[in-house]
Amino acid sequence: MRALVALVLVATACAAPPDGATAAGAGGGRADRGRLAEQQSAERQDTVRQGAVRLSAELVSPTDVELRWTAGDPAAAGHVLEFATEPQGRYTILAFLPEDQTAYTHPDLIPNTTFFYRLRPYYGHASAPVEVTLGSGPYPEPEPDWSRPRTIPGGPRGGLPAGTEAAAPADLKATVTQADGVAFGWTDRAADEEGHLLENRPAGRPDYRVVAALDPDVNAVGLITLPEERQASYRVRAFRYGPHSNVVHRTTGGG
Amino acid sequence: MRLLLMGGAVAGLLVPALPAAADPVESGPWTAYSPTFTVQERGCGDVGGLTFRLTCSTASGDQRAERRYATYSGGTRQFEGYFRITSLPGTRISLKQTFKTTGPFFMLAVERGGRLYAVHGGTTIATGATVGTTVRVNTVHVVGSTHRTYINGSLRHTVSSESGSFYDKFGAYRTNSGQGPATVEWSDISFWRK
Repeated sequence: MRALVALVLVATACAAPPDGATAAGAGGGRADRGRLAEQQSAERQDTVRQGAVRLSAELVSPTDVELRWTAGDPAAAGHVLEFATEPQGRYTILAFLPEDQTAYTHPDLIPNTTFFYRLRPYYGHASAPVEVTLGSGPYPEPEPDWSRPRTIPGGPRGGLPAGTEAAAPADLKATVTQADGVAFGWTDRAADEEGHLLENRPAGRPDYRVVAALDPDVNAVGLITLPEERQASYRVRAFRYGPHSNVVHRTTGGG
Repeated sequence: MRLLLMGGAVAGLLVPALPAAADPVESGPWTAYSPTFTVQERGCGDVGGLTFRLTCSTASGDQRAERRYATYSGGTRQFEGYFRITSLPGTRISLKQTFKTTGPFFMLAVERGGRLYAVHGGTTIATGATVGTTVRVNTVHVVGSTHRTYINGSLRHTVSSESGSFYDKFGAYRTNSGQGPATVEWSDISFWRK
């Protein structure tokens, strides 16, 4: 991801003049114009990758803000939508959203308060999924602190840039520890991840959802499941954030 | 951070909170203030700075790791804080309380899966207190009138308030139907009054 950001910054620094000034005086032929067109196309793509998601906000009632945005980078795994009540933050994540979601309503807001919003893509490939079906035991004796997010030493140290397919966590294993508890462990192959996301898809659900947000270098955690998760698919993702969108703000009314 | 044994409890007395760094919400004018607090560790409760842990799965008795702030008796008070549940093998753990000196008043609790609920009444306040994610809490207490709770900026709970003496608490506290273990990290705690 760092490589991607660096690429974007370089591409932006080398951006071509605005349309209308591009070919003037170039004296080039069809080949030059072709290269120019390719360059502009690449720059447009890079602009999208740079986080050119345009976020807009509308106060649809005195205390409800509707947020909309253009589709972002299709390479992103998803977006996080964040809010703050001061221009410089502190920003808090409202939701992890699928890449194709382009609207969100923040309801019943604190009156007479200015809300700031921004959207950030996150990148990273997920591990191969594992299927977990909870049974009736018996269960192996779990390690102490089996549910605590932690780094189990001794594994290979990840050295790949997060966001690349090769840096996806590997060897995800799930062990049922009790009637409603599952312990997870995996191999962290990313060097520069900003965290890991444990995701699940209960049987009958169409999509995965984030069920735990974990710190960098964590490679083990346990989860107490919900009744609807007796049969579910799990996967884990090492991720990095991309650049955030424009910041929008709206001030709520009297409620 | 065991400081002073007091009848089975552990308390660090009259420690001033840091001055508020954030801006309050709702209409002001608000004045930042720094109420004193004591640290309460009972049963398997353990407090380290702003990390609150219940280390056992005991489903009975007094299991708590909390800060108990100074009592107030009038006016309007605002609390702001951010919590992050880093581990929750247990369930039904109270995270934030506005306590009346004569008994419980408002208790925000979490159960497995991240559902936030009001202990008295059991109503769902919000979902999404997923392990590892940070949740912002603002409470506005107009003594003798109302108590409002905002989760991530949204009004999620309103209850009428009698007059009297109250205090804020936060941390990890086993409710009557709950049990640990649990680890909760709080941050950026602020108080205002008007």
